[in-house]
Amino acid sequence: MRIELRVNGDDYRREVEPDLTLLHFLRDVLGLTGTKWGCLTGDCGACTVLVDGEPVVSCLQLACQVRDREVTTVEGLETADGLDEVQAAFVSNGAAQCGFCTPGMIVAVEALLRSNPSPTEAQVRESLSGNLCRCTGYNKIVDAALQAARARLLATDIA
Amino acid sequence: MVDVFVPDTLDEAVGFLGHHAGAAIPIAGGTDVLVDTRTGRSAPEWLVDLSSLPGLGGVELDGEVLRLGALTRIRAVELDPELQRRAVALVEAAKVLGSVQIRTMATVGGNLCHGTPSAEMPPALLVHDAVAEIVGLGGRRSIPLAELFAGPGRTTLGPDELLTSLRARVRASSAGSCYLRQTVRWSMDLAGVGVAASVEVEGTTVTSARVALAAVAPVPLLVGSATETVVGTDLPSEVADEAGRQAAAACSPISDARGTADYRREVVSVLVPRALRIAWLRATGAWPEGVPAPVNGVWTEEDL
Repeated sequence: MRIELRVNGDDYRREVEPDLTLLHFLRDVLGLTGTKWGCLTGDCGACTVLVDGEPVVSCLQLACQVRDREVTTVEGLETADGLDEVQAAFVSNGAAQCGFCTPGMIVAVEALLRSNPSPTEAQVRESLSGNLCRCTGYNKIVDAALQAARARLLATDIA
Repeated sequence: MVDVFVPDTLDEAVGFLGHHAGAAIPIAGGTDVLVDTRTGRSAPEWLVDLSSLPGLGGVELDGEVLRLGALTRIRAVELDPELQRRAVALVEAAKVLGSVQIRTMATVGGNLCHGTPSAEMPPALLVHDAVAEIVGLGGRRSIPLAELFAGPGRTTLGPDELLTSLRARVRASSAGSCYLRQTVRWSMDLAGVGVAASVEVEGTTVTSARVALAAVAPVPLLVGSATETVVGTDLPSEVADEAGRQAAAACSPISDARGTADYRREVVSVLVPRALRIAWLRATGAWPEGVPAPVNGVWTEEDL
């Protein structure tokens, strides 16, 4: 099956097997391995990417269903100035231990901040409820999300 | 390997499904279908991708009638400002389904047609008198939503038929609804028991009510007897409790990983009165607009 889609700003045209998931398309066809292969049942959130700005689990999305749409992975968040506010906040808060869930967490936080620039802690926790972390106990991840929100608001104010 | 057919029109989709009866199943959000094909629960030769068919999504209100396209995403239901005022049970049911990611992908039609007894959308739509609009090779037909469900994982749809939309009754005033559920986890969990209630009032007196249950019978269950008990009353707690006992008597839960049959019946008898009371408080204007019901239905004056 022939698909056309845009990933992190680049247009791709590829011939793919009809049952190929977006997750495997990103990892195996495009080599974007930041998006993690976790449970393959939509439960863990490690494969979260944005499709047209909305968060989806790429393991339950067929690549051929994403035709003519825009996908953003964790690799696509970096700006010309380096890490974006969410990525930087995860680093400065030490919001990762093994790091496997981190790309999905970062993309989920990115999705939240795009629709809600100043979330409460409860809203952060709710929006991350589909992203499992087996190491951190979540507190540093929540701290990072809240700090990223503040940093982005500040950056917007200055701009 | 599964092949994917992408129809351009609804007619084409129905034609393909009819021609490949038994070998083709529709896919939209994919959150149930792809898990089923991976676990071997279903093994179709074809997936018919409905996700880009035009005209099957969207929330429209015409007076008291809500039209909900089958491809409407659960997330769109959750965030719709008009539904937040007029179909609170539906919004509360949407809010607890899966995760943000799953709700962004999953569709209302998929949640209904997967036939899961614990699904969130069925009870919430049943208490709003939903009618299912269906299209197949034989043309179009409409049935009360309760008649869509045939058993766990099964619907009454023919192999060539598709659910296209729901019509539901959502009054703008003197009406309220509520969805509560019991789960082990707060998120990414299926209901051990799901309870939806709706109430219409004149002044403070109940003129009409509905109670519907999830996960306590082979199909989502509309409980008529509980309804009759509360009509004509101002829904005092003893009447609500009686409706809860009747709902518990009407259901037929099984014992599984999410609870024993006895426990589930007990939970029904507790959650039904709580849901009815909150729906009544909403209908009479005593519950502040925009305040969600706690998921277990326990609240104090301070919450309001």
